[in-house]
Amino acid sequence: MGKILIVDDTLFMRTLLKNILFSGGHTIAGEAGDGEDGVSKYKELKPDLVTMDIVMPKMNGIEALKAIKEFDPAAKVIMCTAVGQEQMVKLAIKTGAKGYIIKPFQAPKVLEEVKSVLTS
Amino acid sequence: MSEFEAYRGLFVAESRENHENLVMNLLLLEKGPDQRAIDEIFRSVHTLKGASASMGFSQMERLCHAMEDVFSLVRSGAAVVSPELGNLLLACSDLIEQMLDDIESGGDSSSGNPDDQVHALRQWIEQYGGTRKKEKESPVSTPVGGLPDESSLITAAERCPEYEMCITVADECMMKDVRAMLALGNLEALGTVLSVHPPREALDEGTFDGTLRIVIASDAGVDTLKTAATGTEILNVEIRVMEGPADMAPDTMQDVTSLLHSACDTAQQAEKKPYVVIPDGEIRAAEKQEIQVPDGAGPVKPAGDDKKQSSSADKTREIKNLRVDIHQLDHIMNLIEDLVINRGRLRQIAALHKIKEMDEAIGMVDRSVSELHSLMMNIRMIPLNHIFNRLPRVVRDVAQHDGKEVEFVIDGGETELDRSVMDGLNDPLLHLIRNAVNHGIESPDVRTQTGKSQQGHIRLSARREQDNVIIELTDDGAGINVGKVRAKAIEKGLITPEAAETFTTDQAIEMLFQPGFSTADKISDISGRGVGLDVVKRSIEALNGTIRVDTTPGKGSRFELLLPPTMAIVDVMIVRINKKRFGIPISSIVEVANFRRDDTHHIGKGEAILLRDEVLQILRLDEMAGASQECEILVVVQYQKRKCCIPVDMVEGKQEVVVKPLSSFIGVTRGVSGVTILGDGAIIPVLDVNSMV
Repeated sequence: MGKILIVDDTLFMRTLLKNILFSGGHTIAGEAGDGEDGVSKYKELKPDLVTMDIVMPKMNGIEALKAIKEFDPAAKVIMCTAVGQEQMVKLAIKTGAKGYIIKPFQAPKVLEEVKSVLTS
Repeated sequence: MSEFEAYRGLFVAESRENHENLVMNLLLLEKGPDQRAIDEIFRSVHTLKGASASMGFSQMERLCHAMEDVFSLVRSGAAVVSPELGNLLLACSDLIEQMLDDIESGGDSSSGNPDDQVHALRQWIEQYGGTRKKEKESPVSTPVGGLPDESSLITAAERCPEYEMCITVADECMMKDVRAMLALGNLEALGTVLSVHPPREALDEGTFDGTLRIVIASDAGVDTLKTAATGTEILNVEIRVMEGPADMAPDTMQDVTSLLHSACDTAQQAEKKPYVVIPDGEIRAAEKQEIQVPDGAGPVKPAGDDKKQSSSADKTREIKNLRVDIHQLDHIMNLIEDLVINRGRLRQIAALHKIKEMDEAIGMVDRSVSELHSLMMNIRMIPLNHIFNRLPRVVRDVAQHDGKEVEFVIDGGETELDRSVMDGLNDPLLHLIRNAVNHGIESPDVRTQTGKSQQGHIRLSARREQDNVIIELTDDGAGINVGKVRAKAIEKGLITPEAAETFTTDQAIEMLFQPGFSTADKISDISGRGVGLDVVKRSIEALNGTIRVDTTPGKGSRFELLLPPTMAIVDVMIVRINKKRFGIPISSIVEVANFRRDDTHHIGKGEAILLRDEVLQILRLDEMAGASQECEILVVVQYQKRKCCIPVDMVEGKQEVVVKPLSSFIGVTRGVSGVTILGDGAIIPVLDVNSMV
């Protein structure tokens, strides 16, 4: 179980993800609505794990991931992606993302990935 | 589906925002190339796609997916948005809106069939790229941790035991190559990867078949390596200790050499990169810390209790805004209105029994209720952009339909109005805008002939002025044609040809607002292309607002809507006629005077009175209250520039009341804007002076 920061530009996705994470016994460190906010919340809250959307206003998920990794190389970030975004995810993995989950989210898969990254 | 039912409201609300953003940026794109608009459109359709897929609304997802594919191409610069594509995309956005309406009322978006649109979008994609162009990759693409330099590679390889690993990714995994990359990345953090099969390029290009073979030199031990490679959707990890350098196949050696070269290249690139290359040791230290946490044994224990406290404090600080269902706000508003009514009742009881303490207590309650009321009013305020943002699309559509060129400017959209006023404003405003393009702005050739710019201008602005919100719609079109109005009024039998001779511009405007003048006589026509200005006027008046028009032939027209920011609770004067009580809104009352019957005069069928050198029409409410012989007081009311007076038996006093609209069973009743409940439980009508004067 971990303290998780959710970064996504839609409240809908954040709520969906939050409830899935709650159901897995995790706590939510905080939520951010864009990459920029995600980076500053990461610095402020020091979560155990971040779920990061890719397409977001202000600063996209890849840029936010880079900034977070610069601040904390050990940061554990899971990318939220969709079919068709393989190249983006690969770029994210090369940038230091530790996992990915595919929309539409399936609770068991999300929880499995979160657990796997938290214990890695 | 049912598990997502709880998210339906949120989904609709947010999707509508994204839809609005989509339309707004599509319109921006029509004006010329705009990378920001393209990015925004991509983001919006991407989000709509993801959300609808999550909710299981497959039709909507299909449509958004096709739109996203189109914009991937546009975004990469491989194609531009032509006017035809723009129209197609707007048609798609209309369908999305229709689907959202369906979803909001409990459907699943299947009422809108996107086959035609998806087909058209796919055709467009084929035309522009054959197959979907892959997402553009950033030039930066090296693993974090990069690859160690040549010397450390050799020493690592010399020192550490070597392992051969075979990692199998599960068949159902949707991004097998990404999984393989993750496993590879995890292993790279634990040692030196000497060979990878299939090569990294295969992973990059997406030709990976599901089995990854790695040779790694590491001192992490079998278990740690196995754990690092194991993860979600990893079916199997096999690991075998290699006997020594001799065990390494020649082709593997070749791999190592090529690896060394790529490592040098990477190291050179890495110097320019914005991210940090992490030394091996640090990663291990971090991982060690994590491993100490017992797996599945409750939450991760923070460093200390202090930290825990501060983080929970952070959490409460985070929540600054929250989204509330509007129906809940309406419900709270109803409760506040009930409070206002019951406060009046308490006050009456206190007055009746002359209880001083109760009076004081009511005074306190009074203050809280007033504050609560004004707070609630603020919460219910919504910026006008909420409805303004939809209008550029309307202007565009009408202009395109009529073959006109129009520049539409919006100003002051941040001005706030109560939601209830906003709801009632949407249709009349839509109608006025359509009218402005349809009837106001001339066709480009006519404009050129009259020495105007080819493009017409329409400006919509809003501002707060004292207690009112003023919305102004100006156009530089032809203005109102008095001759045309006159001819039509004669044709409709509203005025005689003789009277028409002396028709002024003001009178022409008056005629426009006359019921029966327009071709539209049903309220439903307001959203069509009818010209029911009387309906617009009635709708605005139903909001306790007024509408004023200025027009200059050949120069254009200006419509001014004056609206109260809110309408739920109003100050009224309670009057009594023939033992029946009525409320008259204080805002309409000019003065209260003694009624001297001697000063009344009969003019035709009507009755008038001379009050301070002014002749005022007397408006008797006999039909409503029955004739009264005891009228001693005159309440002078005013609407715009017109005054008249209502004779009443007595004035009971001023009161803040909640005006509830009449039920739809009763329908629109001229002269009555609604009813209110007084403190003693009596239900009385509240007069609508605007429609009486």
